[in-house]
Amino acid sequence: MDDRFDCIIVGGGIAGLSAAMVLARADAKFLLVERGEFCGAKNVSGGVLWGYDLARLVPNYWEGDDPGYERFVNHRRLSFLDESSAFSMDFKSATFDETPYMGVTVLRAKFDSWLAAQVQNVIDAGTHAEDSILATDILVDALEKDGDRVVGIRTGDEVFYADCVILAEGVNNLLTRQIGIEPAYVPADHVAVGVKEVIALPEATLRDRFQLSGLSGLTNEFVGAATSGVEGGGFLYTNRDSVSVGLVLAMADLRDKKRKPYDLLNEFKAHPAIADMLSGGEVLEYSAHVVSTGDVAAVPSRLYDNGVLVAGEAAHLLLNSGKAIQGMDYAMRSGILAAGTVLSAREAGDASADTLAAYQQALDDSYLMKDLRSFSDAVQLFHSPTMYQKVPNILCDFGRDFFGIDNEPSSKAADMLKASVKKHASLWEMAKLGYKAARSL
Amino acid sequence: MTTGMTIAERLGRVAYRNQGRSDAKAHIEVDTSICNTSCPHKCTTYVCPANCYTVDEAGLVHFQFEDCIECGTCMYACDQGAVSWKYPDPERGRGVNWQLG
Repeated sequence: MDDRFDCIIVGGGIAGLSAAMVLARADAKFLLVERGEFCGAKNVSGGVLWGYDLARLVPNYWEGDDPGYERFVNHRRLSFLDESSAFSMDFKSATFDETPYMGVTVLRAKFDSWLAAQVQNVIDAGTHAEDSILATDILVDALEKDGDRVVGIRTGDEVFYADCVILAEGVNNLLTRQIGIEPAYVPADHVAVGVKEVIALPEATLRDRFQLSGLSGLTNEFVGAATSGVEGGGFLYTNRDSVSVGLVLAMADLRDKKRKPYDLLNEFKAHPAIADMLSGGEVLEYSAHVVSTGDVAAVPSRLYDNGVLVAGEAAHLLLNSGKAIQGMDYAMRSGILAAGTVLSAREAGDASADTLAAYQQALDDSYLMKDLRSFSDAVQLFHSPTMYQKVPNILCDFGRDFFGIDNEPSSKAADMLKASVKKHASLWEMAKLGYKAARSL
Repeated sequence: MTTGMTIAERLGRVAYRNQGRSDAKAHIEVDTSICNTSCPHKCTTYVCPANCYTVDEAGLVHFQFEDCIECGTCMYACDQGAVSWKYPDPERGRGVNWQLG
């Protein structure tokens, strides 16, 4: 059949476009369908894209006139908040100024459409310039099946056929559920909800306020009073001439505590440490999206079947170890690995589950599943009330004592810390936590 | 409690598809008879980041899809089977059109 594609990719986000790039470079004939008006139109993330895969996918991406990303990250901060204070761990390094960058901040509507343009350039240079397609405004209603095998997609009255389908439909993975890779009802404790604002600040203000130079950027994560007692955390990332500021809130706990996410966002923005960073800014866009918790238990046990693979957050591939939220790099790598498996299957002339099992193996051998497994204790730790409530209170109490000078005889730091711990928890509880943290991180 | 932007002001900064269409097709169906009879928490009325679920003076839950930003929250938060969640049709549905994302 002439119309048949080597591969159909559902979803023009980072997982789907990364897979598309690999297929385009291998000169495969593929169709990518995106339901938004353009790639990125339906996508939201914090967001930082961590690691070096982007440089592998789009070599020297930082050299273009329009490099797609907002700022490269050379300054990171983790802040523990109580009602009035912020106690921070802060790291800035000129080694992070070097290309390829270790991480870049992105705005998805811009970044994903940029990445789609890079894929289109590669398609245009290949032999399938006319019949490999990035199609927008197309909603897939169902996967087309022949027996137990996925053979294409159905959209409205039309069916498109392919040897293999990659589902890169994001966390709200309706098609993945349709074929039983994930159960039809996903419970609240497998997900969180992110709410965010992009707030404009003049570039000069941004540079001075956050000590930026050129396109360098700051990432700041927050735990403690950031979420007003709800399990979760906050973030602030610098863009070109705006900041992305928001919260990630555990769905089940938000429900139990009966809080509105936008009220919590207002409270976070009013915290003295945050308010100072945002003052004078103008809200350009408010957004929200469900996000996987980053718990390895949420990842379906099998991410492939006859003729189909699942990549990115549709597979709940996301790590939140406390060091960073890694969703987009997980999407990118899984998209790359899925496309690699599709190419091997094409060579073997067989896209059965037996062949596509190589994808699962590749994921297991990569940092994605290795880190998801080895940091699973850290994920649990970060989701414990001790970590997101008691520790910030202890640190801020200690900070007030240690950094406060009051013209009275001062106690030693160790005694100050002991006193702060005793006020909010027990020494034994903190000793256990310290031990667990040292082991799990 | 702090003051800040209202949810209406925030949603005023969101771009939607088919904004001019008065006959847009709903992509989420909510069986509010479940919300209004057996549901113990009516959680969608507070967890929804776009305030699409509201309670009237008589305590009844109402849903409107026009402000929906397709985040997915209600699909997970509702554990009573009241929410049937689909993606909006690009041509005839509503849904979000992020400018920044």
